[in-house]
Amino acid sequence: MTADTTMNAEPAPRRGNSREATRAQGVKRFKWTVLTPLMALMIFILLPAFLLQGYFSFFSFSIFDAGDDPSFLSYFRASTWVGLDLWADAFSDDKFGYAIIRSLLFSTGVTTGCFLLGFGLALLMYRPFRGQGVYYIFFILPMLTVPIVIAYTGEMILYQNGPLNDIIGMVTGTRSEVQFLYNQQAALTTIGLLEIWNWTPFSFIIMMAGLAALPKEPQEAAQILGASRWRIFWEVQLPLLRPVILLALILRFLESMAEFPKTWGLLQGGPGSATETIPVYIFINAWQFFDLSYGAVLSYLVLFMMVAIVMSAIWLLRREKKSLDEMYQASPEES
Amino acid sequence: MAMTKSQRRTAYAAMRYFLLTIWLLIVAFPIFWMVSTSFKPDREWFAWPPVYISENATLQNYLAVWADVEGHSVDEQTGEIKTYAQSLQRPWVALGNSALISFIATTLSVLFGSVLAYGVSRYQILSEGRMFQLLMLRMVPPIVLVAPISIWYSALGLLDTVTGLVILYFLTTLPYAVWMSKSFIDEVPREMEQAAEILGASRWRTIWEVVLPLVRSGLVATFLFILILTWSEYLLALLLSKAQVVTLPVELSKYQGSTEGRVYGRQAALSVGITLPLIVVGLIIRKHLARGFSFGMVRR
Repeated sequence: MTADTTMNAEPAPRRGNSREATRAQGVKRFKWTVLTPLMALMIFILLPAFLLQGYFSFFSFSIFDAGDDPSFLSYFRASTWVGLDLWADAFSDDKFGYAIIRSLLFSTGVTTGCFLLGFGLALLMYRPFRGQGVYYIFFILPMLTVPIVIAYTGEMILYQNGPLNDIIGMVTGTRSEVQFLYNQQAALTTIGLLEIWNWTPFSFIIMMAGLAALPKEPQEAAQILGASRWRIFWEVQLPLLRPVILLALILRFLESMAEFPKTWGLLQGGPGSATETIPVYIFINAWQFFDLSYGAVLSYLVLFMMVAIVMSAIWLLRREKKSLDEMYQASPEES
Repeated sequence: MAMTKSQRRTAYAAMRYFLLTIWLLIVAFPIFWMVSTSFKPDREWFAWPPVYISENATLQNYLAVWADVEGHSVDEQTGEIKTYAQSLQRPWVALGNSALISFIATTLSVLFGSVLAYGVSRYQILSEGRMFQLLMLRMVPPIVLVAPISIWYSALGLLDTVTGLVILYFLTTLPYAVWMSKSFIDEVPREMEQAAEILGASRWRTIWEVVLPLVRSGLVATFLFILILTWSEYLLALLLSKAQVVTLPVELSKYQGSTEGRVYGRQAALSVGITLPLIVVGLIIRKHLARGFSFGMVRR
C-alpha cells in the first residue's frame, strides 16, 4: 500500500491497525519533507566549509600564493603540505593564548554585569507601578540599537573631548581627560561597558518574564509563616528562578564570546593588542595577514572549544528544562 | 526611630524611581547623542565644550547622506569613500540590500521554522535533544567557519550575492525561529486540527489554513524578532560581501574608514536611519521579546 497521506473526502472504512500504519507513514513522510531542505543546506554549505578548513589546516596557503589566478582550484594548487606544523605553532602562540583568556574574562565580566543590572532592574520593576510601561520601553532600547551603531556612537561619546569627559568634569569640578579607548589598560573594559549597555535589556526582559511567571502560592505561604521579604527572596523566589537565571547567564556568555562589531569597529584589536579577543585575532590572521591556513587552525581550535562549551551549556539547560517539565506535570492546574 | 509601614512604602517607591531614572538616563544618553549629533553642523562635531543641543540645527547631514546633496564617490578597490564629487546614492543601495536580504532570510526562516515547530510540537519529528542541538547553529561563533565558507562560496559563485547571505542568515536564525514559533504553536488547542482532519483536509492544508492562522500574531512577533537579528548582523555581511551587496551596517563602517577623517554628523545621520526601523519594530513586539530567548524555560 503506498503512503496515502491526504485524507480522502469520504471517510474510508479501514481497520484500526492499517489506519494507524498509514498515519505513521504520513508523519514519516512529513518529517522528511521538512527536514530534507535543512539537511541539504548543512551538507552542501556547512560540511564542505568544515572539510575545506581541515584541508587548509594541513596544507599551508595564503591568498598571496594564488598569484594572478584567483579561481577556486588555484587555492589547492598553490597550497603546500606542512603537516602539523601550523597546529604546533598555534599551541605555542602566546598571542592566541592571551586572546582566549581575554575573551573569557570579557565574557565573564559582561555576563555578570548584564545579569546583575538586568536582574536588579527587573526586581525593582516587576510589580506594577505608575510609569512602568514608559521605563520598560526605554530600558529595551539599547537592545534594538544595531551593534555597529553603538560602536561608532560610543566613539563620539567617549573620545577625549567628548561629552562623557565633559560630564565627569562637571560632576567633579575639574577638567577630565580620560582616554577611554586609546589606552591599553582601559580599552577592553570600555568595550565591555558598551557591551553591557547593549545587552542588559536582554537579561532584564528574561528576568522580568521569569519573575512575572513565578507562582504566587509559595510566596504567600512563606509570608503567612512570617518569613521576612529578604528570606522569601533568597529561599523561595531565587530557587524557583534558577532555570531562567541559568538561561540568561548562558546565552549572554555565549553571545559575548562571539562579540565582534564593537571590538573591531572601535579598536581593531588595539591599542597594542589590548582588545584582541578570539574573533578579532582570527579575523586579523585570516583577513589582515591573509594567512588562511593559520586562521583555519585557530578556527578549528576555537570551534572545538566552543562546541565543548555549548554542549555543556545545552546539557545544563536540558537538565533544568526536564526538572521544570516534571514540576509542571505534577501540578494539575496547569493546562 | 521606626518608620511606619506607609512611610517605608513611600521611601521604597522614591528609591525605586531614583534608581530607575538613573538607568533611564544612562540608556537614553547615547541615543540622544546620536540624534543630537545628526543635526549638528560640521564645526560642532568636535567642539569643546561639547555641544549638547545645537542652536544651529541643520538637516545638512541627512541631506548629504540620504539625499546625497554633496555626492561622494567610492574607491573601487578598497571600497572607501574618497571624495564628495559624484552622486551614487550608496546608502539607499545599502538600505535596499539590507531590506531585501533581511526580509527574504527572515521570511524563509519563519516559514520553515514554524512548519518544523509544528512537526515537533505535534509529532515530535525532532527529539528534545535534537531541538537543543539545533541551537549550535546559533551559539557557535560564526567567525570559526566564515573563512572556509568564503572560499566555498567563491567556488559556488555565492560570494558577494544576496543568496549567499540569505542562506547563512537563514541557518543562523533558524533555532530562534523554531523555538519561538513552537512556544506559540504549543498553546493552540489540537481540537481545531483534529476537526480539519476529520473534514478531510490534508496535513499541509491543515497547517496553512488552520494552525498558522491561529498563531498569526505569534508568527508576526517571531518575524520581527528575527528581522532585528538579520538587520543588524555585521560580521558575515562584512566578510562575505565585497562591493555588490553592501548592507547598511557595513556601509556605516565605511564612513569610519573614510579618508576624509571622522565625519561624526554623517555617521550619526546614517545611524539614525539604520536604528529607527528596528526601534519601531522592537516596540511593536515588546511584549513578546522574552519568548524569543526563553526556549520553553519561562512558563506562563
